[in-house]
Amino acid sequence: MDEGSRDALLSVAEDLRLRTGQIVTALDLLDEIAVRERVPPAAILSREELRRIIGGSGSGPARASAFLISLRSIRYPRLAAATEELRAEISALRLPRGVSLKLPKELGSDELTISIQAGNPAQLERAVAALTEKIGGLARIFDLLGGRG
Amino acid sequence: MFELDEVIIERRCAETVLARRIVGAIPSGVLVREIDDAREAVLPARHASDPFGVGKRRMVVCRRKSPFLMACPAGSAKFACCGYLVLALASNCPMDCSYCFLQEYLADNPAFQVYANYTDAFGELDKLAAGSPERSFRVGTGELADSLAFDSMTAMSRDLVEFFSARENLTLELKTKTSEIENLLNADPRGRVMVSWTLSPDAVFRACEHRTAPPASRIAAARAVLDAGYRIAFHFDPLIAYEGAERDYLELIDRLTDSIPPEKTSFVSMGTLRMTPGLRAAARRRFPGDPMLCGEEVLGRDGRLRAFAPLRIRLYRALAERFKRAGAEIPAYLCMEPASIHERVFGDTPAKPAIIGQRLAEA
Repeated sequence: MDEGSRDALLSVAEDLRLRTGQIVTALDLLDEIAVRERVPPAAILSREELRRIIGGSGSGPARASAFLISLRSIRYPRLAAATEELRAEISALRLPRGVSLKLPKELGSDELTISIQAGNPAQLERAVAALTEKIGGLARIFDLLGGRG
Repeated sequence: MFELDEVIIERRCAETVLARRIVGAIPSGVLVREIDDAREAVLPARHASDPFGVGKRRMVVCRRKSPFLMACPAGSAKFACCGYLVLALASNCPMDCSYCFLQEYLADNPAFQVYANYTDAFGELDKLAAGSPERSFRVGTGELADSLAFDSMTAMSRDLVEFFSARENLTLELKTKTSEIENLLNADPRGRVMVSWTLSPDAVFRACEHRTAPPASRIAAARAVLDAGYRIAFHFDPLIAYEGAERDYLELIDRLTDSIPPEKTSFVSMGTLRMTPGLRAAARRRFPGDPMLCGEEVLGRDGRLRAFAPLRIRLYRALAERFKRAGAEIPAYLCMEPASIHERVFGDTPAKPAIIGQRLAEA
């Protein structure tokens, strides 16, 4: 890492009071973004989306966490966009309480986990009916997981 | 010709046909020495900054003590496999692809080994063929080494073609990223030998596939061996899902089908880049500036990093559809992917590995 980038990262680490593990994560992400985009880490750290978090008003730990999430979105831009789109689709389904959809971790597989929490047969019936009613939206989510859309 | 620093010959192999061929073809300036026991010579040079890279430049001619024939090391019950059998006639490769799994697989014995007793493998193959005469087997030499790199020195391909050309239920697959086909052009495969090339777009070739033949040369070599009576196949493996990959791979397929009519291709395989975290770390250490090693891979259930599912399925499907549109139903399979991904891409359930292996052997 060049000297300017080292200074920039040190400044961020001090501002956000990054812990050792967080610094290691940030270093790895910055290194890989730099290779992907052929820009020095200092230029990445000066991006508006990161500066807003670094100079923001939240607590140190909250800003540190948001900083790493944002850095990760820069490192994995298409994964971040795909995840956001899928979450929006899930949210738009407005599933009733007791029914939840879980995306595969980091979209590492194409399988959706559907959970139903029911205390009696009537609740189960309502949950299944709700899922059946939303089958079109669910199909759209399966399509997105399968690279369509 | 690939560069070597030295050739080390196990003394008991010094008079073998292979050792004599190699000694006769070694370029001047390459050190040749004999040793009693090759075990030490294949170990990594611990003092070197890149022991794996050093190993590639040290050819060791020795005896193989283990069986030559083995199941493909990539095979697993978790995947829809292709029934490929591996014939280990050499270990490691003079080319240096940044993504190569050998960087991890052979980290403890990285020397470029060629086995002087390789014709012993023929006995194993005859036993296999005689044991199931009703089945067809596809056997390849390109898993732990490139099948044709250094063939100008070893001429192994000539013996292999001669052997396989006389076996009705065995198909040899020579898998390569080179254009070293001279020995093949002078042999008659009688339909029993297939030559396959890994194909990548120029962007991947330039970033990752060091010391390999350019993609255009591989396609030209494929055309030449096809005209000489060989069957041909192509591996789009690893597929690397960089930004712009879909456009580049489709363009590559167009270039391929412009040169080689699709109906002349026996099969294509596809498999996105997959790396264990250990392999990725080793590859990043050796090729820190390679952007292809910093793609959007995530950890899967099998402990390997791959492009996240929607991204890679989309890429597989785009390639499969382009081949379909090219006008011929080319048999295709996915390497190291579960049946569910196969179904997403091809729309059907994959057959059992032995059946796929049989189909590919006869394709």
